[in-house]
Amino acid sequence: MALLQDLMDAYQGKIVKPSDALLHKTTTLLQDGMNARAFGEFEKPKALGDARWTDELILSTWYMAETGEVPDKLNFKTGESDGGFDRLDFQFLQESDWLEHSEAIDTKLPLNRRGDGKNEIEIDIPWYGGGMSYGSVSVNVMMSRARNAKHWNTLMSTGEGGYPPELYEVKESVITQVATGYFGVEEETIQAAPIIEFKYAQGAKPGLGGHLLAAKAGEEVAKLRGSVPFVSLFSPFPFHSTYSVEDHSKHLDWIETVNPKALLSVKVSTPHDVDMVAVGSYYAGAHIIHLDGGYGGTGAAPEIAKKNIAMPIELAIPKVHKFLQKEGVRDKVTLIASGGVRTADDIAKAIALGADGCVLGTTDLVGMGCTRCSNCEGGPSGRGCPWGLTTTDIELQEWVQQDWGARRLDNLYAALQWRLRDILRKLGLSNVRELRGRTDLLSYIPKEAGE
Amino acid sequence: MLESAAHVGLQATDGPLSMDKFGAESARIGREVADGYHRYHIDTEEVDDVNPLPHRFLVTVGKVGLAKLISKEALTYFRPWDPHFDVILSRPCTYGVFSGPLGGFIPRPKLCVGCLRCEVQHPEFVKVLPNPDLAKMGDSYTTHGHIAAIDEEAKKGMVPVRGQGYRGRFGGPGFDGMLTDMSEIVRPSRDGIHGRELIGTAVDIGSKPMHLSFDSDGKLSGSTPEMFTIQVPFIFDLPPGNLESTRLAEVVESTSRGIDTLACLDAHTVARNRLDAPNVVPVLDNAEASRASEFPRARLIELRSTPGRPWGWDAGGFDLAREVSDAIIGIRIHFEEGWQDRMTKAVESGAKVIHLLADLHGRGSDGTFVTELFKEAHMLLLEQGRRDTVTLLGGGGIVGADHVPKAIISGLDAVALDLPVLFALQGRSNGSLRQRAKVDGTLPRELDQEWAEQRLTNLCGSWRDQLLEILGAMGIREVRRLRGEFGRSMVVRHLEDEAFEGIAGYVGGGC
Repeated sequence: MALLQDLMDAYQGKIVKPSDALLHKTTTLLQDGMNARAFGEFEKPKALGDARWTDELILSTWYMAETGEVPDKLNFKTGESDGGFDRLDFQFLQESDWLEHSEAIDTKLPLNRRGDGKNEIEIDIPWYGGGMSYGSVSVNVMMSRARNAKHWNTLMSTGEGGYPPELYEVKESVITQVATGYFGVEEETIQAAPIIEFKYAQGAKPGLGGHLLAAKAGEEVAKLRGSVPFVSLFSPFPFHSTYSVEDHSKHLDWIETVNPKALLSVKVSTPHDVDMVAVGSYYAGAHIIHLDGGYGGTGAAPEIAKKNIAMPIELAIPKVHKFLQKEGVRDKVTLIASGGVRTADDIAKAIALGADGCVLGTTDLVGMGCTRCSNCEGGPSGRGCPWGLTTTDIELQEWVQQDWGARRLDNLYAALQWRLRDILRKLGLSNVRELRGRTDLLSYIPKEAGE
Repeated sequence: MLESAAHVGLQATDGPLSMDKFGAESARIGREVADGYHRYHIDTEEVDDVNPLPHRFLVTVGKVGLAKLISKEALTYFRPWDPHFDVILSRPCTYGVFSGPLGGFIPRPKLCVGCLRCEVQHPEFVKVLPNPDLAKMGDSYTTHGHIAAIDEEAKKGMVPVRGQGYRGRFGGPGFDGMLTDMSEIVRPSRDGIHGRELIGTAVDIGSKPMHLSFDSDGKLSGSTPEMFTIQVPFIFDLPPGNLESTRLAEVVESTSRGIDTLACLDAHTVARNRLDAPNVVPVLDNAEASRASEFPRARLIELRSTPGRPWGWDAGGFDLAREVSDAIIGIRIHFEEGWQDRMTKAVESGAKVIHLLADLHGRGSDGTFVTELFKEAHMLLLEQGRRDTVTLLGGGGIVGADHVPKAIISGLDAVALDLPVLFALQGRSNGSLRQRAKVDGTLPRELDQEWAEQRLTNLCGSWRDQLLEILGAMGIREVRRLRGEFGRSMVVRHLEDEAFEGIAGYVGGGC
């Protein structure tokens, strides 16, 4: 009878934590399959990719995540969105003037420019991991990212879903996010973090707050968020205690009281007056102004918001950079850009447009297998990502194991850093900080007649 | 007496009210008004497909490859004491594509969402392909993406929510080149979408005087508002091309009544089917203006150009219609050469509603897109000091929920929906969808009234909720305040000029 029951359960696809044999089979097939596609052993899947993340961009990211090197035969630089980063290029020097490709090309980025005695944090690469909450992704994914961040002496944000206990082992690399629902925000998690990130808005759904659909708010997730399992969770918009820059300043004061050494990051989206918001944030005490552009990622957002509300990051960076310069405070604050930053080339372009560094989110997920099928919110199955990334489903989340995930991201970051150095040396720069605001090193690829 | 007092059936009392009686009366009125208050809401309910769209993906599975895999796995994993059914019968799809009675041997592509896990996991014998039948729906403007979105909205009545970021092109032509603004902190209307605070979507149709005049006795003199209110800033326009039918007229009439908006219908259809009602806008040829008297219940009657006459303005027809009808007489004006002059003449002659029409790709005859045309019309009336005396309705190219707020930002009071009705009702089209008169569409053969009404209601519910998202993000409390608020939009072309100015090769203007 037990055998028959097992057979019926298997036939009906009963959802249980996978056995070791199933885990081995599935992860092996998935990982081998990704590699086979990335290495060109099979043709590119016809249904893969879109204008922003083309099939080649996804496959090249898989390639880099497996090998730590940039591919020869795949476009790993740009998408086909017909604008923004995809229409920008670099004006490289003559080959004879290129610098040697060397680890001496400095990619470090200091984050505290205020000289105020708080944490002097310098990350080895000019990017860190964007917030993805526990609930929107699994602990395995969070830990893969956090362990990789530690390895690269960079950071990763918790997102707004609490602080799974596992994160304490890498707490020096973990930014605690405080967002409008205050999910999981506790004194301990504020004190544990080197940086506290206030999320005012998210580029993919600016002005709309957050939304974790009921299907993904399982028992563990609910416990960490102090909520009821399988009930939709809204992060309202905006902070209900904030109606002015002065109120915002009080928020930052509150953090300073709880963790006097922590740097303060303010994450905002990109409205028309983003430059004013940035300056206001600076005067309120922010060390990092984090702009999240309209084409950014999300675990769930109304489709109407993604494309239509607020501006793409490429257009916001120069606006803010120039305004901070005019105000005379540009060198006292770190400007971080996210929301549609996909590649090393995008990172370099964002810096050339005026950012100090970037935040990556989707790129990390693609490195671990994401095909951008847009079913992160649960999809028709209600279980979340079939690749095991944006899910806390007891079976699916096992497809991403921490060791594998961290290794993939380690390789991916190595390739991204290599390419960033490659760009810098071809521009004759020995330091990524010299690239900031150098729009003279960019060119715009004009549209052909009739395009 | 307060209007609210009249609303709850209170009569004015004779003689002065004492203070204590006044307080009690006020409290009672307040309570009754509050008890009788009904927040406007569109009741949506998921409905089944009658004529489903082609699946997004085609899934092909090599039968031999699959058989080999199962055999191999059975040999590898099966042990009588530990049969590993979970491994042998595991399927690379969480959506059920391979969960039919015969598993992968007869896949179910309608369940495929394109995650590609199966194709990556088993590249030797599984393929997932975009369905060309879906891709060829619509035309170059109203794409299969628009049609699929409308279909989903009309089916579920919900705001489409998905994971991952935006997947399309950077900016783009037409409405894609406009972004809406948001407010980072200041939020008078926060949480509107979740119902905690009202965001109004009602708009007024008709005319408000630019100022009020009073005589020496303090009584109102001069013109008074001549308008009525509908609850959403979109109306149903005349069905384009060959879509006009009695059944469709009945569906849009009943739907518009249910959600408190308007349905423009051919006057002959209205008369023939006795559809005259406050929510129905009979559309008459100028030459038949005298027939306006046949629609005593209509609040708005529109006049359109008679074939061979100028595009939309006929002073004689307008005067005649006004003479025989108490309804507001609106004028339909096509964006053909000289439209500005015709609109001005119509307004000068007392027209309270102007219904502007572009082609279904949102272009005027000179190729200008409607965002520019609506803006020009709005600004023209502003410059003439007449904007509030006229309601601007507009249509052409409105095929997505985001187009509604963008058209209103451009200067309209409300938009008119044409093609979305066809696709909400799971109709199909052949050929170009550019010219109204030449739209060749077919609706489902059996257009069940209840089903069709629910589909259109769902579409309106979804679009209204999406409008609330946009308004909420901006911190705007009512859609009336969005009209002509160009400052709450951003034009990608202008932003690019600001951001990329000075970069080698950038010549500006989106080129």
